[in-house]
Amino acid sequence: MTLSVLLDWTIQTVIAFVATIAFSIIFHSPKNQYIFAGFTGAFGWLIYIVHMHFWSDAVFASFFAALGLTYMSRIFSFARKAPVTIFLISGIFPIVPGAGIYYTGYHIFMNENAQALSVGMETIKIAIAIALGIGIVVSLPRFFFTLRKAEKKGRTS
Amino acid sequence: MTDEQSHTESAAGLSFKMGEALLKNGAEIFRVQETMERVARAYGIEEYDVYVLSNAIFANAVENGERVETKLKYIPGSTIHFARVAGINQLSREIAHGNVGITEAYARLREITEIPYTHPLTLVAACGIGSACFSYLFGGSVWDAAAAFLCGTVLQLFLNQIDRRTASKFITNLASSAVVALCAVLLFSLGLGGSLDKIIIGSIIRLVPGVALTTSIRDFLNGDYLSGTIRMIDAFLIGGCIAIGVGAVVMIYFSITGGVPQL
Repeated sequence: MTLSVLLDWTIQTVIAFVATIAFSIIFHSPKNQYIFAGFTGAFGWLIYIVHMHFWSDAVFASFFAALGLTYMSRIFSFARKAPVTIFLISGIFPIVPGAGIYYTGYHIFMNENAQALSVGMETIKIAIAIALGIGIVVSLPRFFFTLRKAEKKGRTS
Repeated sequence: MTDEQSHTESAAGLSFKMGEALLKNGAEIFRVQETMERVARAYGIEEYDVYVLSNAIFANAVENGERVETKLKYIPGSTIHFARVAGINQLSREIAHGNVGITEAYARLREITEIPYTHPLTLVAACGIGSACFSYLFGGSVWDAAAAFLCGTVLQLFLNQIDRRTASKFITNLASSAVVALCAVLLFSLGLGGSLDKIIIGSIIRLVPGVALTTSIRDFLNGDYLSGTIRMIDAFLIGGCIAIGVGAVVMIYFSITGGVPQL
């Protein structure tokens, strides 16, 4: 059982990696950053599915995934000397609540208002959780992300 | 072209052009503002005031106690192009270190803003692959992923067509999510894929407002509340459009077939 779960996680992480790179291409990222954006997205998704496996709570899973992948994109941003946005936006796509948007619309049109409301609220909560996750990591001072001493001026963020 | 000639040697003009290019290609407000100020400082403009909104830049430069340049520019809807953002970021850092002359900086900026867009067919392939991957990640089978791949390619072909005619954002999102749903419904009724919702969820990810949401959050965190609000509203409206476009098609499909909606 555990082995099949691990295998499933591995496959999903690899697929998230590919998916994130596909989105880097769509957003015209620099070619030499594709792989790093891919790692960011895969890492975020891994956190998400592991959390979902043990607690199955999409809001917290999204929060921790956002924390992890924002941390990763800031590290890459310093290491690769590129804006965080490149890694962050491509990497965030796996956890953006696309399914929530779809089900909300679906229930509204099927006239199932109670379900529409509950799925809609869940979607908004996930969006807020992602926002908080990004917010916390982005506000950390830069020495969390680079081993060198802070340079004299010119923040990258 | 004449506009470009007249500012060839002006640092304020350079700074403004860099900010404009950043905003056009999807950078967040904070980065635009900081880059503009950094460049102005590097070229010795004493007083330089910039105010950036999500769709406009206002700048005023004072040199030797004399107002040299005031510029306002409205910059409508942007297309994301991260290679340009990264290029300008790199250029501005080199300018801050003081190794780039103004004329050279202008030349390099022009080079950066002419980095071409990815070939449309590459985009189609990327969108197809991305849709297939997401369909699988959200619990679809391999066949669902195959259907999502086709829907993704159709979606990007549609988007490629629509971009040329600069349609409104609402119509674009409504229409393209309806196209995705239509394509998914068609493939599903032909027998490709096991669950309609997994196919659709995978293929609408391309439209989902992930960029607007993320950029809006970053604007809020940097204290640019106005731009953050504008982009947040943008994200919600796009999300709403997708929900309506997809929902309408799926509802019509179910009412035609009379099938029980199974989720």
